[in-house]
Amino acid sequence: MRVYGWGLVRSMVIAYKNLFRKKITVQYPHEKIALPERARWAVEPTFYDDGDPKCTACGICERTCPDYVIKIETTTLEDKSKRIDRWHYEIGACMMCGLCVEACPFDAIRMGQDYELARTDPATLAVDLLADVPAAQPKRRAEAAAAAKGGADA
Amino acid sequence: MSDWLIAFLRWLAALGLMLTNGVVMILMLRKVLGALHLRLGPMDNGPWGIFQTLFDVLKLFTKEDPTPKAVDKVLFFLAPALVFVPSLAAYIVVPFSETWVVGDFDLGLLFIFAIMSIIPLGILMAGWASNNKWSLVGAMRVVGAQISYEVPLLLAALPVVMMAGSLNMNDIVEAQRSVWFVVNLPAFALFFIAGLIENGQTPFDLIEAESELVGGYATEYASMKFGLLFLSEFSNTFILSAMIVALFFGGWNIGFGLDTPAALAPAIFMLKTYIGIFIIMTIRGTMPRVRVDKLLALGWKFLLPASIAWTMVTALVVKLGSGMIGGGQ
Repeated sequence: MRVYGWGLVRSMVIAYKNLFRKKITVQYPHEKIALPERARWAVEPTFYDDGDPKCTACGICERTCPDYVIKIETTTLEDKSKRIDRWHYEIGACMMCGLCVEACPFDAIRMGQDYELARTDPATLAVDLLADVPAAQPKRRAEAAAAAKGGADA
Repeated sequence: MSDWLIAFLRWLAALGLMLTNGVVMILMLRKVLGALHLRLGPMDNGPWGIFQTLFDVLKLFTKEDPTPKAVDKVLFFLAPALVFVPSLAAYIVVPFSETWVVGDFDLGLLFIFAIMSIIPLGILMAGWASNNKWSLVGAMRVVGAQISYEVPLLLAALPVVMMAGSLNMNDIVEAQRSVWFVVNLPAFALFFIAGLIENGQTPFDLIEAESELVGGYATEYASMKFGLLFLSEFSNTFILSAMIVALFFGGWNIGFGLDTPAALAPAIFMLKTYIGIFIIMTIRGTMPRVRVDKLLALGWKFLLPASIAWTMVTALVVKLGSGMIGGGQ
């Protein structure tokens, strides 16, 4: 049966039920909820277990970045190994697209979970994620690991 | 004490009540709307954010008050006062208890209607003086709605007057000692709907219509001039609720023929009034807005004839069954 104006009454009933439902507000600065596992925020470098960065200073991420947010400055040493002077990252211009992470052949960077990116000082919007560290040499590392393993076997 | 001093103190009390009401009701509105949306509303200042509106008022006081170049300066300054003063004056006859009333007029009910019908003039002044088409459209809507709904509102209050046999607010409340006049349900419904429209509450809030008209007639106002317009709006809601309580829900009476302790009467009246405000606010948080033509059609084609018809029916019933309904005389 349709009663004229019944919809108005029903809407009010729904509204009054809402008064007693659990509130969904998260009072953000005071309480935070855990991020989903796959949340993607600012880029951060990854490290080997012994603390060395995985970055080989190949520069692919720098070339991939559509916003020119990443800048890598390196020096080549006498033994042809590279040293990373600066792995520069402009958080302020980064749009978290993740192309650099996809492009990285050594999984040396990943999308981090740091989402509180607001800054009071604009100068801190540009950071050096890595500074003055030797670039990783995955081949030599693997050889060294194999040698260590072989040495242990023998 | 001299009569003048007493009158002044009573006026001061009314002003204090109005300001307190404004602050409390704005917080209440934000909390109630929040609860309806499953939100919490303001929570940061004080426990449960109870000081939020206090700080808002302080902010309004300290804000810069720019006057736009193109406005009509005299009217622009006069309008908030002309909107505010009738709102304050309406408190004069609100019967908080048998003795707690600023001025106990014999024509109290008529006084409220008379003084409240000045408000559209102030609003039209504000809209016209702002020299802004949105303000003017908002103001025209207010005036259109309020003037056309004054008639059904008055006619919906008439049955109560007939049943009580008086226009004095306290006499009307007194007459509801045993039976509240809400038994005259159609009159209550008509009064409530017409009151919501008169008040510019949500199903009929074309006046403000934030999403269409920026801020309605208050668009060009800032600082405390805006505060006065805003405060008067909230105070009108209080007056509407107080009128509904006094006319239909027994005012400061407990009801059922029980004696009301004089000390409790104002508290009971305020409680009832705030329950009314709460219901008005929940309606505001639930209903969508009606269109202007539908609003006016509802007024002229339904509310006006219905209230005239119901006034006649009540008059007949009161005359025939004199003494049977609500102690009619």
